[in-house]
Amino acid sequence: MVGPVQKIVTVSSNHVETFKREYVDILQDSLRLSEENKRLLKQLQDKELLLNRSREALATNASLRRLLEFKNTLDQQQSVPATIVGKDPSAMYRSVIIDQGANKGITKGDPVINSDGVVGQVFAVTPNYAKVLLAIAPSSAIDVLLQKSRVRGILKGNGTLTYRLEYILKTAEVEEQDYVVTAGYGGVFPTGLQVGVVSKIIKKSRGMFHEIEVTPSVDYQKLENLLILEQPKSSEIEKMEQQ
Amino acid sequence: MVVVFFILAGILLVVLQTTVFMPSPVSSFSPDLHYVFVAYLALRLDLVRSLLILFPLVCVLDVLSGTVLGTYALSCFSGYFLLQQISSKLPVNELLYQIPLISLIYLAVSWALYLFLEFFAPGQQAAWAWWKMVIHMVLVAGATYPLFFLFDLLQKYSHRNFLPRNKLRLRSDNRRRRTT
Repeated sequence: MVGPVQKIVTVSSNHVETFKREYVDILQDSLRLSEENKRLLKQLQDKELLLNRSREALATNASLRRLLEFKNTLDQQQSVPATIVGKDPSAMYRSVIIDQGANKGITKGDPVINSDGVVGQVFAVTPNYAKVLLAIAPSSAIDVLLQKSRVRGILKGNGTLTYRLEYILKTAEVEEQDYVVTAGYGGVFPTGLQVGVVSKIIKKSRGMFHEIEVTPSVDYQKLENLLILEQPKSSEIEKMEQQ
Repeated sequence: MVVVFFILAGILLVVLQTTVFMPSPVSSFSPDLHYVFVAYLALRLDLVRSLLILFPLVCVLDVLSGTVLGTYALSCFSGYFLLQQISSKLPVNELLYQIPLISLIYLAVSWALYLFLEFFAPGQQAAWAWWKMVIHMVLVAGATYPLFFLFDLLQKYSHRNFLPRNKLRLRSDNRRRRTT
């Protein structure tokens, strides 16, 4: 009597066991795998975020290192590192706001540079912030030299990503790819700071001067960290002139 | 309350405009959010409150940017009065119809300002470029609808009574006393 019942129970329990192994366990596994998948995805996202942050830190580090190396090449001239915190929203002017001001010794007229060359000049100062007029601004004018021929001219901005080099006589020898550097007259900018490269010479039959377009050495699209050079005091300039 | 909220909103917009929406100092694709704000004041708020909001805003703009002081004051106030005058004469007050007007007045004011500055301070500003100004105009038009929606929300929020009058009102002890 009991034997067939036992057999039925044993067979059916075997079937149930098989069903459990083939379906329920797989379902459980898939649920576990889904959880595992979610966890791994989250982990991957975290790692990607971390990687992105370290990449950003590396880029900032490289930029600051370049600026520091450049700062070390400036002999004795005091400089203050600064970061751009705001930009002029108007389409007509070209200026930026930096996070250092009069409290760090910055004064109106101080030259602003970065590792690539001349960026502009400070034109308004508050205790903690200052406004910098970029060299590409139409109201900016810098005394420069053509490095090869030593011909002097005035570099003006025109609001775009190029400069205009003015007052270079037609008799002067100018070639494309000539380097343009600061002249250093007046003691504002140190002599020989890189400004740009002559990219176009427009020859016209009229007029006394060349029309020259200069490509900036500074990438204005990627301006970030700057150095503000302290202007030598007038007494120091007089002393230098006497020497 | 509306004045305080809108002054703060205006300053926040200026901060956003000079930082997040201005990736580089020569960017041509940065929207003039402050102008949309001026347009909202001209079209949705009364004169006194608008002027109270506008004055600190133009001061902040002039401090944060520009080499010729007063440029932003001139641009914002002329844009404000022009928009107000023209919109008061228009039969429709729907925002979708006002968007082209806002962007056209933006272009007209910018052009007039450029000519004015070119006359009084020649060579101080970048040369006028129509393609750039058209891009700016389109950006202003694009930013108008969402910003007006946000400003409407802000206005609704700022009209809420933070200190309800009925809770502050002094009550007499005898509440059953009849008033004759």
